Amino acid sequence: MRVRRTLSVIVVLLTAVLLAACSRPTPLPTGDGPDPRVLEIGATGEPVGMDMITVDGAGIPFVLLYNVYETLVKLDPDKNVQPLLASDWEISADRLTYTFTIDRAARFADGTPVDAEAVVHSFQRIIDGEGTGQILADFAPLTEARATGERTVELELATPSNYFLLALTTPAGSVANPEASIASLNTTPAGSGPYVLGDWEPGSLVQLTRNTEYWGTPSHFDVVNFRYYADPNAMNTAMLSGQLDIVSNLTVPTALGQFESDERFEVLQGYSDGEVVLTYNHANEALANQQVRQALNLAVDRQAIVDAAWGGQGELIGSMVPPTDAWYEDLSDVYPHDPERARELLAEAGYESGLTFRLRVPTLPYAPPAARSIQSQLRAVGVETVIEELEFGVWLEQIFAFQDYDMTIVAHVEPRDLKMYAMDGNYMNYENPEFTALIEAADRGNDDEFVQLQSEAARVLAEDAAANWLFLLPNIIITTADISGVQVDQTSLSFDVTTIASSE
Amino acid sequence: MRNASLWVGLTLIAVVVLTAAVALFWTPFDPTANGPVLLAPPGWPHVLGTDAFGTDVLSRLMSGAQICLLVGVLSVVGAAVIGVPVGMAAAIFRGWVGEILGRLSDILYGFPALLLAILFAAALGGSTWTAVMAIGIATIPAFVRIARAGTLEVLSQPYVEAAELSDVGRTVIAVRHVLPNIAPMVWVQASVSFGIAILSEAGLSYLGLGSGPDNPTWGRMLREAQDHIFSTPLLALWPGLAIAIATLGFNLLGDGLRDVLDPRLRERA
Amino acid sequence: MSRGKRVLIRLAWFVASLLLASLLIFAATNLLPGDIANVLLGTNASAEQVEALREQLGLNRPFPVRYVEWLSGVVVGDFGTSMVGGQPVSSIIFSRLEISAWLVGLATIGSLVIALPVGTYAAMRRRHVDGVAVSAASQVGLAVPSFWAGIWLVVLFAVTLRWLPAGGYVSYWDSFTDWVRHLILPVAALSIVQASVISRYVRSAVIDVLHTDYFRTARAIGWTRSGAIWRHGMRNISISLLTVIGLQITTLLVGAIIIEQVFAIPGLGSRLLLAVTQRDLAIVQGIVLVLVWAVLLINFLVDVAYQFVDPRLRQEAT
Repeated sequence: MRVRRTLSVIVVLLTAVLLAACSRPTPLPTGDGPDPRVLEIGATGEPVGMDMITVDGAGIPFVLLYNVYETLVKLDPDKNVQPLLASDWEISADRLTYTFTIDRAARFADGTPVDAEAVVHSFQRIIDGEGTGQILADFAPLTEARATGERTVELELATPSNYFLLALTTPAGSVANPEASIASLNTTPAGSGPYVLGDWEPGSLVQLTRNTEYWGTPSHFDVVNFRYYADPNAMNTAMLSGQLDIVSNLTVPTALGQFESDERFEVLQGYSDGEVVLTYNHANEALANQQVRQALNLAVDRQAIVDAAWGGQGELIGSMVPPTDAWYEDLSDVYPHDPERARELLAEAGYESGLTFRLRVPTLPYAPPAARSIQSQLRAVGVETVIEELEFGVWLEQIFAFQDYDMTIVAHVEPRDLKMYAMDGNYMNYENPEFTALIEAADRGNDDEFVQLQSEAARVLAEDAAANWLFLLPNIIITTADISGVQVDQTSLSFDVTTIASSE
Repeated sequence: MRNASLWVGLTLIAVVVLTAAVALFWTPFDPTANGPVLLAPPGWPHVLGTDAFGTDVLSRLMSGAQICLLVGVLSVVGAAVIGVPVGMAAAIFRGWVGEILGRLSDILYGFPALLLAILFAAALGGSTWTAVMAIGIATIPAFVRIARAGTLEVLSQPYVEAAELSDVGRTVIAVRHVLPNIAPMVWVQASVSFGIAILSEAGLSYLGLGSGPDNPTWGRMLREAQDHIFSTPLLALWPGLAIAIATLGFNLLGDGLRDVLDPRLRERA
Repeated sequence: MSRGKRVLIRLAWFVASLLLASLLIFAATNLLPGDIANVLLGTNASAEQVEALREQLGLNRPFPVRYVEWLSGVVVGDFGTSMVGGQPVSSIIFSRLEISAWLVGLATIGSLVIALPVGTYAAMRRRHVDGVAVSAASQVGLAVPSFWAGIWLVVLFAVTLRWLPAGGYVSYWDSFTDWVRHLILPVAALSIVQASVISRYVRSAVIDVLHTDYFRTARAIGWTRSGAIWRHGMRNISISLLTVIGLQITTLLVGAIIIEQVFAIPGLGSRLLLAVTQRDLAIVQGIVLVLVWAVLLINFLVDVAYQFVDPRLRQEAT
């Protein structure tokens, strides 16, 4: 009797749990018609919102740029500027006025034409000061955007800027549908690209579905699922067990062999824009001393760090420029690994008795391992480091907002971010008038001067040992054998799916 | 069987403690220095091989034993030092103070340690100390419960009631009669909590909320080894085994102690 | 004291503990440094921008006001909105809760299915080598971290043999077989450890039964050992199962959080860790509250169930 009662209590409890679990069916993600073509992409680094203009983080443009939002112009894989929404453009002789003609066919996903007013609407928001620091810096030279015809836009700059046309290819240059309220953009993007946002389940999935009204060449897949993994190993195992078509960036490079030896997969290895930097806080008295920074750079064996922290995959750089930029110069030998010389320099600077620094790193895949190597290498020249790991949210506040650190390690993934060291109030507290002058001159100069002066600036930065550029993250993409059209080198913040196709 | 638990448990713990003690003075290699040979298989001179940094795995395991014991001892001792007096007070002070204390610990007893640790680590940054604090706080209610139950039982004994009549203060009663009587239960609880603390630390480190990269804890080694699970699966074996051995040791010790110290339970096992 | 009155007192304490838990959680999450405003504005925001956003998000109002407002929302099922995505927290929790509930529920059933026969066997054969071996095995199972077991299960069944998916989750509405296939490994990883705990309780409960007079009598009149245990021992065993479910629910929920990471399962745990990283307080509060309330609720139900099954408690006063 009592036994039965007990059991019935248990049964009721379990039933309650199961009923609660069953009560809401999830809708099927796809429409009707023949089997939809679905692309499954594994990714890390989720978007924290959907508005690229006001919300920071590389996760948003990764999914939305070119796939959901389009820009007036776009960079091709060789970093040449190509038309996208603009079919044509002209730059005035004084390089202060840009005139864009918008493609006649261009439509937003709801069918509204992309016209001059729409472009002005999107750009005016940034001119009015709405946007993240990065966005505002990108559009800093822009003073006015005006519609001079139904499909012509004029952009007025305060000073000539070589960066500006390139900035138009970034999230700052994205054009949103003026019909959508700005407040809604953070949950419902309104662009003109070949895809629209479908399901969004933070923590696991961002789904793009085909924009049936797309004005350009339709892309291959009906549905693109960006699946997010907190643990990159889980992403790798998902790929290995056949649940994914693409691993958008292999963040466990040591697992590379597993894919290379398997004929089901293809491995694409290209350059990324992510310079992994050991950043010095120049507000620290010892680190403000150039000799100390030089000594630290000499003490670190960067190849050993790449080997230990990133499975030997990654290019040694030596300044803030990836090899895919026109102004790239191999500066990786400016400070070769030379612990002897490092000790001498430290002694000359008056620190022969040793130094201790706080190395505060974010818990991103590359940072703690690199920190562990650096600690061991610096100890060899008498420099102690205390490693603290901070979650990325805390790290942003402590390092970026409060600048409470001596050294940190982070990958700067923005394209063309050399100029970061010339920005006012940068988080490194770095000020170098010579460098800043070069960057400003480069931006104002003509095409040749741009490349020439940027290159010079990069060398000045490297020789000053402003930071230690440890290595360039490789762009390792794994696809299944049937996938084609994936861009190998990373030239923008976007994971561009518009050209990807499958032979199956 | 009951003696077997005790002895096997003590042996395993002795292995861990000895390893930690030896590591204070000597490890085959420097447990935090990088070496030239990465991911070497077990052999000579690296008995258990090297990790992705070329660091000797055996040295790291040995040094990890120290932190494992440190986290266990600090969190368990801390929890007992706070929990036992609170539990005794909850039993001695009848009326609403005792009731509230008792109920409070009941509520906290259900508060998952890991959730607490996640909040802590998020607030203060992951480190050995936040792990100790979170695990310690989450362990307090277990000691409160045990001390309270034990104290209530002792206080209901006739001889204690007599002592109370003779006007000896309650605190004196507590120290003179209650403490020695509940000590066995506290020891058992400490042993069990120690095992849980080791597992919790491993879980925290695995989630990246535990000790930093310069502190080779076993959980952290496991997390780092997971990156090489396909190429060098043995790397994930050693720290996992070490965790299992230490936890097993303390669990068995707890069982053995219970059998020896609490005669009423002897018949059962 | 009557049983009804005892249940009522327990109910009152239960409600009080829900309130207390909510206060603790709200206080804890609001003390977190690392501010959502910084995360949203990113690397180059000025102090004024951050301050303005804090104001806009209502983070500058006094603590008690925000607590009462939050709690009164929670009571009617409104957990606020996510500061990151803008979705209602309740719908986020609800969609995730289902997945975690399956994981925990199936792991409970799975571990019972393993533990009942294993524990009974270990008890009946406790003086033999095999019985002792089973007990020893359960001790070892207890000492293994569930995520470690999970990692090896993935390596074996997903990567090497390719029998089962390595992670992820598929809704049963989409494909029932895929749903089952995705859950097998995570449930197994949780069950192995849970079964070790439960089997030890079952073992000692069965040993108690073996020592009782009614068991000896039943044996004497010709029942087989297992028949006698089944017929007469179930009450004793179910009491100890109740205890263990109450005790283990916390461990199980926590284990599920880690296992969700290992297997990339989009449950409450993985959402919680993401929200902590993003400093999305509304979600952190909501999920922790749901988890802690679930623990309290289950303990309360177990407590009430005791009143009905345990003969000793039926006479005792509280």
